Amino acid sequence: MTENELAHMNENTSTKSSIPENGQPPKKTGVYLCRCGGNIGDLVDLQSIADSLKENKDVLVNIQDYLCSGAGQEKIKSDIEKGKVDRVVIGSCSPKLHLETFRGMAKKAGLNPNLLEITNIREQASWVHDKEGINPKVKGLIKGAVARIGSIEPLVPLEKKLVNRTLVVGGGIAGITTALELADAHEVILIEKLPFLGGHMIGLSKTFPTLDCSQCILTPKMVAVHNHPNITMFTQTEVADVRGSPGDYSITLRHSPRYVDIEKCINCGACARKCTTGAIFLPFAQAVPQAYMIDMSKCKNCGACVKVCPRDAIDLDAKEKTSSVSVGAVAIATGFEPIDPSFIEEYNYPAPNLLTAVEFEEMLSAKSKTGMRLQKADGSFPSRVAFVLCAGSRDFTGKGRKHCSKVCCIYSQKQAQLVRKMKDEAEAWIFYIDMRSAGRRFEEFYHHTQEKGVNYVRGKVAEIIPKQDGALMVQYEDTNLGRKGRELFDMVVLCPALIPSAGTKELADKLGVPIGDDGFIEEKHVKLDPVNTLNQSVFAAGCVLGPKDIHDSVTEGISAAHKVSQFLGKGMILIPPEKPMILECNGCGECVKACPYNALNLENGKAVLSPLACTGCGICVPACPIKGIEIRNYTRNQYKAQLKAILSEEPGVIVFIDPYAYAAADIAGVNRRQYSSLVRFVNVPSIHILDADVVNAAFEYGATGVMLIEGTTDEKLVSHSDELYKKLKKETRKHKKPLRYSHIETAQYEKLTDLLNVFAAQAGAKAQKKNKKETESEE
Amino acid sequence: MKKEIILVESRDPAFQDLVLSTPVGEKLATCMQCGICAGSCPVSHEMDYNPRQLVRMVQLGLKNEVLNSNTIWICTSCFSCSVRCPRGIRPTELMETLRPIAIAEGIKNKNERFDGVFSDVVRKNGRASEFLLISKYSLKEPEMIKQAPFGLSLFLKGKLPLAVDKMENTLELDTIFKLGEKVEKKEKENKENKETGMKTEKEEPETDK
Repeated sequence: MTENELAHMNENTSTKSSIPENGQPPKKTGVYLCRCGGNIGDLVDLQSIADSLKENKDVLVNIQDYLCSGAGQEKIKSDIEKGKVDRVVIGSCSPKLHLETFRGMAKKAGLNPNLLEITNIREQASWVHDKEGINPKVKGLIKGAVARIGSIEPLVPLEKKLVNRTLVVGGGIAGITTALELADAHEVILIEKLPFLGGHMIGLSKTFPTLDCSQCILTPKMVAVHNHPNITMFTQTEVADVRGSPGDYSITLRHSPRYVDIEKCINCGACARKCTTGAIFLPFAQAVPQAYMIDMSKCKNCGACVKVCPRDAIDLDAKEKTSSVSVGAVAIATGFEPIDPSFIEEYNYPAPNLLTAVEFEEMLSAKSKTGMRLQKADGSFPSRVAFVLCAGSRDFTGKGRKHCSKVCCIYSQKQAQLVRKMKDEAEAWIFYIDMRSAGRRFEEFYHHTQEKGVNYVRGKVAEIIPKQDGALMVQYEDTNLGRKGRELFDMVVLCPALIPSAGTKELADKLGVPIGDDGFIEEKHVKLDPVNTLNQSVFAAGCVLGPKDIHDSVTEGISAAHKVSQFLGKGMILIPPEKPMILECNGCGECVKACPYNALNLENGKAVLSPLACTGCGICVPACPIKGIEIRNYTRNQYKAQLKAILSEEPGVIVFIDPYAYAAADIAGVNRRQYSSLVRFVNVPSIHILDADVVNAAFEYGATGVMLIEGTTDEKLVSHSDELYKKLKKETRKHKKPLRYSHIETAQYEKLTDLLNVFAAQAGAKAQKKNKKETESEE
Repeated sequence: MKKEIILVESRDPAFQDLVLSTPVGEKLATCMQCGICAGSCPVSHEMDYNPRQLVRMVQLGLKNEVLNSNTIWICTSCFSCSVRCPRGIRPTELMETLRPIAIAEGIKNKNERFDGVFSDVVRKNGRASEFLLISKYSLKEPEMIKQAPFGLSLFLKGKLPLAVDKMENTLELDTIFKLGEKVEKKEKENKENKETGMKTEKEEPETDK
C-alpha cells in the first residue's frame, strides 16, 4: 500500500467525537421486543419484561410480532424520525441474521447505525431453554443492553480501498464457472491443485439426467478459461499463506514442478516417444493446459526427452516455486473427494472388481485407461453389476459421515443404464435405502431407469465377500419382502460418501472462514446467504459447500461470481470502527510488543495506531500498564455497566464469547441444543480484551462463575490464551468463584452446550455451598 | 403365517415407553429400516420377525407380537447387527432387554424354556454340558422325542459325551447369580413402590458433613 493511498484512507476515516451527533446527552432509548411469531413470545413473558423496563423513564418499550417485517421496521423508523428515541435496543433473533437489516433502517431514519444493537433472545434464549429461568435471563440481558447503549459512541466505519482482483481456488466446474462469470469485468487468478483443469467433472462419462457427454460440454469452458485475457491460470498450485485483511490480501502460492514449460510445449509428443519408462505424458487428450508433464517417480533422469524437445521446454531440475499475488476477494471452489471405503470392514474394499463410483466413471470418461471400455480386472465385460448406495454416508456411529451425499441415487441409476445399454443381457442391480430423486426431471429419470430393466433392491448391503475367481458375493436383506438374499456379481460399485477435499480445513483456517462439523464450509446464512461466508471477502461455490450435482455447482459458481462482483464493485470496504483509543501514554511500548498485527508503533515516544492494520482484538488493552488504552464502544466502564445490569435480575454465569464461538452458540440454537438458563453471554471482540478489572467486576455484581469462550483459529491470538487465563485466574482468586477458559470452534456447538451445562452446574453448586456456609456462620 | 392388522388395540403405549426408556431404547426412534441388521444376521431367516422388523414393532408398541416372537430368544448375540448399524442402534442389547420383560410377563414358549434350562445347567456346573442340556430340555419339551434318532447317532459317534465337565468352585458362581437376583428383586420392589406412590428408601452415598 502506498503512502498516498494510506493518506487518502485516513481522510475518509472518522472515528471522531464521543459526543452524540446533536451535541446533547441521550434522551431516550427505545427497546423493541420481537415475539417472532411464537418463537420467542411463547416462552418469554415479554409483557412483564416490558413493564419492568418501563420503570426507567428514559426507556420506551414496544413489542411486535415480527420486528423484521415492514410494519415492525416502520414502527422503529417512525419513532426515530419523530425524535421519540435516539438509541435502539432490539430483543430478537441473532444479530448475525438481522443486524444489517435494522442498522440499514436506522441509517435511513437518520440515526447512526452504531446506536442500534441487538440482544439475541431467540438462538441464545428461547430456542435453548425451557420456561424455567428464562424471564430473569432475558430481562437481565435487555437491561444490560440498555445500560450499554447509553454510552455507545456514534462511530463511522473506516473505509479501505479494495484490490480489484479475485483468487478462485479450484479448477472444477464450480471454479471454472466462477472465473468465467467474473472475468469480463474483473481480473481473476484461477489456481488448480492438479496438472489440468476440469476437477471431478472431466472424470465423468455421461451426465444425468440428459446423458450428454461430460467432456463435450466442459472442454469449451476449459479452453475459454485458458484463453481469457483476464484470467491467469496456474495448475499444480496451492495456497501456501495468507496475509493482509479482507479486501486486501497478499496470498503466497506454492507451485509444484511440472518439468515441462506449459507455454513452450507444442504437444508434438516427441518426448513421450523417446521415453522408455512412460514418465512423460499428456494427462489425457483434451487436457487443459495442453502440455506434457513428468511423473518423477517413473523418471530415470536419462535426459532423452530434454534432447529431443524441439522447443527446449523440458527442465528436469525444476523445483517447487512460490509466488505472491494481491487480491481483494477469494472464491473457494475446492470441491469434494470420495471417502475411502476401506474403513467399512464388511465391504472388503479394495478387492478386484470392487470399485468406487468415481473409479467406475473414470473408466468410461476422457481420463479412461481402458479405452472407455467397461471391464473387469481380467479384461472381460462384467455382465452382472451391483451398485451399493450409502457406502459411508447416513452413518451416525462416528465411523462414516452423517450427511446424505445427494447425487448417488441419480448417478448410480445413470451408471446402471449405461451397463444395460452396453449389453442387452447385462444385469444391473441397485441396492438402496431410500431412492431420492427429488426435483425437476429426476423422478422421470428414476422411472425411465426402471423401464430400462434395472433391478432395484431396497436394503443396505450387509456384506461383500470377494471370491477366488474374482466374483463378488453380496449379502443383503430385501426389506420390501423381509427376506435375506445372496447374489453373485462380476462387479460391485460402491457409492461412497462425498466429503470435502483434503486441505479444505487448512485453507478455511488461513482465510478465517469457519467450517461445519461435517467439514464443509459454513455459509453466512444456510438459506439466505448460501455462497457468502462469515468473512465478507471470501465466497464459496460447489461441493465445498456440500455434495451437489453439476447444475447446482454451476448455479453456485454464477452466484459466487455475482457476489464477488457486488463486493468488489463497491471499490471500498467498510471496516468496523471499534478500534483502540490511546488516552494516556508513557511511551513504554508494551502495547506495541503485545500487538500481533503490527498495528501499533511508537512515534516520538508515544504509541500511534494504524487503524487499517488493526483487527480490533483488544489485546493491547490489558497490555497497557497504566490502563491508557480502551477499545471504542468496548471500554471497561461500558462492560461494567452492562454486567451490573445483567446481574441485577438474578445471579448467573457470565460467558465472555468471541464472534466465532458466538456463531457456535447460534448453531446450538438452530439445533435446539438445550443448556442452562443461568448462562449469560457477553460479546467481546476477542477474549484478549479482558483484564482482571472487568472479570472482578462480574464477580462483584453477583456472577456465580465466569467463562471465557474463544472460537477464533487465529494462532496469533490463541497462542496467548493460556497465559491470559492463568493471569486472570491469579488476579481474580480472592472471589473464590470458578473461572474457566475453553476453545470452541464454530462447528463444535455440541461441545459448547455440554461445557456450559457442566460449568453452570459447578458454579451453581459452589455458590450454594458458599451461601450455606455464610448462613451457618451468621447463625 | 397369519398376520394381524395393526389397530389401535394392538399398540401398547406403556410397553413402548418402557422399552424406549431403557439405554438401548434411546436410539430406536432413529431406525431408517435399511435392513443391514437383518442382512447381517446369521439366523434372521429362522426368526418370526427379523431384527429390523422387531425394531419397527417396538416403535409401534406391538407388545404381544414382540414378546411372543422367537426373535428375542434365538438371537445368538454375535453382535454383527450392532457393529454395522449406521444409526448406532444395538439390536443385540434390545433382545437382551426384551427377554426379562417377556419372562416378567409370564410368557411361556419353547425358546423361553430352552433359555431357562441352559442357564440352570450353567449355574450348577459352571460349564455348558450338551448332554445335560439336551436331556433336561427333552423332559420339558416332548417334541424333542423326534430328535432322538439324531441324538443316538451323535452319541454312537462319540459326539455327545456323557461326562459332565464341572468348574472347580461352583459356590463362587452361585454367589454371583444370587447377587444378580438380589439386585433384580430390589429393582422390582422399587418399581412397585413407585407405582403405588410410596416413598422408597434412597440409597444415598455417604456424604461428608
